[in-house]
Amino acid sequence: MRLELRDVRYVYAPGTPFEVEALRGVSLVVEPGEVLGIVGGTGSGKSTLVQHMNLLLTPTGGEVLVDGVDATTLKKSELRRRVGLVFQFPESALFAPTVEEDVAFAPRQLGLDEEEVQERVLESLRALEAGELAARSPFALSGGEKRRAAIAGVLAMKPEVLVLDEPTAGLDPATREDLLALILGLRNAGISVVLVSHDLDEVAEVADRVCALQEGRVRAIGTPAEVFYREPAQAPATVRVASLLRESKPEIGAPVRFAETLDALRALQGA
Amino acid sequence: MTSRSLGQFYPVASPVHDLDPRAKILATAVFVVGLFLIDSTVGLLFVAAALVALVTMSRIPAGTFLLLLRPVLFIVALTVLFQVLFSREGVTLAEWGFFEIRSGGLSLGFFLALRILLLVSSAGLLTATTAPVALADGIEDLLSPLKRVRFPAHEVAMMMTIALRFIPTLGKEAEKIKGAQAARGADFSEGGPLRRARSLVPLLVPLTVGAFRRADELAEAMESRGYRGGEGRTRYRELRFRKRDALALAVTALVLLIGVLL
Repeated sequence: MRLELRDVRYVYAPGTPFEVEALRGVSLVVEPGEVLGIVGGTGSGKSTLVQHMNLLLTPTGGEVLVDGVDATTLKKSELRRRVGLVFQFPESALFAPTVEEDVAFAPRQLGLDEEEVQERVLESLRALEAGELAARSPFALSGGEKRRAAIAGVLAMKPEVLVLDEPTAGLDPATREDLLALILGLRNAGISVVLVSHDLDEVAEVADRVCALQEGRVRAIGTPAEVFYREPAQAPATVRVASLLRESKPEIGAPVRFAETLDALRALQGA
Repeated sequence: MTSRSLGQFYPVASPVHDLDPRAKILATAVFVVGLFLIDSTVGLLFVAAALVALVTMSRIPAGTFLLLLRPVLFIVALTVLFQVLFSREGVTLAEWGFFEIRSGGLSLGFFLALRILLLVSSAGLLTATTAPVALADGIEDLLSPLKRVRFPAHEVAMMMTIALRFIPTLGKEAEKIKGAQAARGADFSEGGPLRRARSLVPLLVPLTVGAFRRADELAEAMESRGYRGGEGRTRYRELRFRKRDALALAVTALVLLIGVLL
């Protein structure tokens, strides 16, 4: 599915001294089957933006379109199934006695039969390499395991767009690698992924396109190479290395991923 | 939970905000006691006029202030209804079978409604114009004479400060968890009472777990900064009771006295 945000604006607590203009006209498209990275400093509006994608927040101005249709006209439950949103620190919303039951929550809310529910639970847990956690209490897990369980709880809805708000914040490297692999796997299965992250290297690794937010506006949007080479101050480490080298060796091109950068360096060495 | 909850501190500069918290707490106490001594509607109306003047001075927009009264409107309506339906005083104005409306019931209903609204407004004005920390400092100071009889004034005030401080934090947390569960298809507004109560489980369990975790973290953070209770503890902001604080207190007492006499 194609998710489009058109000139979306959002004001928190309008008309009070607590009023904050979080989004000041954001337009962007999540194309079917792409990974869109969203980067930007603290307070740039990333988290507010993603909550508009399934209309948990209703825009104060502008509109959200699902395959060209105004999302406010769709059934909310249907929209939230199709656009799966994983909040920042999603483990804080775990509540059931076992991981299995927690993951089953969303599919049960969808009214699926028990067999289908169990199937989805297993499938989602396995996708997150968390199959062995099924019978355990979510409160007795490690941080990384909790995160896996919580993401599985959204994946079990089989969303067409999966929105992840800083899914790797505070994670151990192994869980983080697994998550990035999962994102690429989902994309290859035709599911769009929106990845909000502070970690530019990780965005460079998996994103097809990058959107940089600043003070509630889109500062830049395009392929990782376009965005990262245009904004050297906000570039991941590999791009900064490559940028330095490009000054004397333009033939290095515009590598973005770690592997690409290594390959470019090797090619230079061989030449 | 809305972003503006009952009696939330409203940070603007005004002469009312500027008063010593102790003066405001005492004035509120005088006000509340006075309200129960006033037995005429005219007296209540006089006090209400004074309170309106005070709210205006506090620079809190009238609309925002009235929002504060919304949660008690139900109780007010219920009180008025009962008085009107069951009072047996005054002349009969209307009659439907068993029920009859009498003038005595109407005026008593109005009197009680006004009293409840004034009660809530005065407490609301205190919390809306006093920062939670200042409020707790004030309470601690007012309770400190009780330290002689080993009453833990500092600890009680600290507990209140923490409780007040965490209301917005927990509110935000609840908002976030509600969002996360809504994203998983939870619906907090559908079905009968039983189903609605059950739909709160995915909200209340994580909220409780989170509150305990926060309490632990806070205790550790306080200890790591050397907190050992109130013994020998000094303050960054010293409270100072000035002339205008005494004046405010005196004026409040005077207004209530006139209300009682009217």
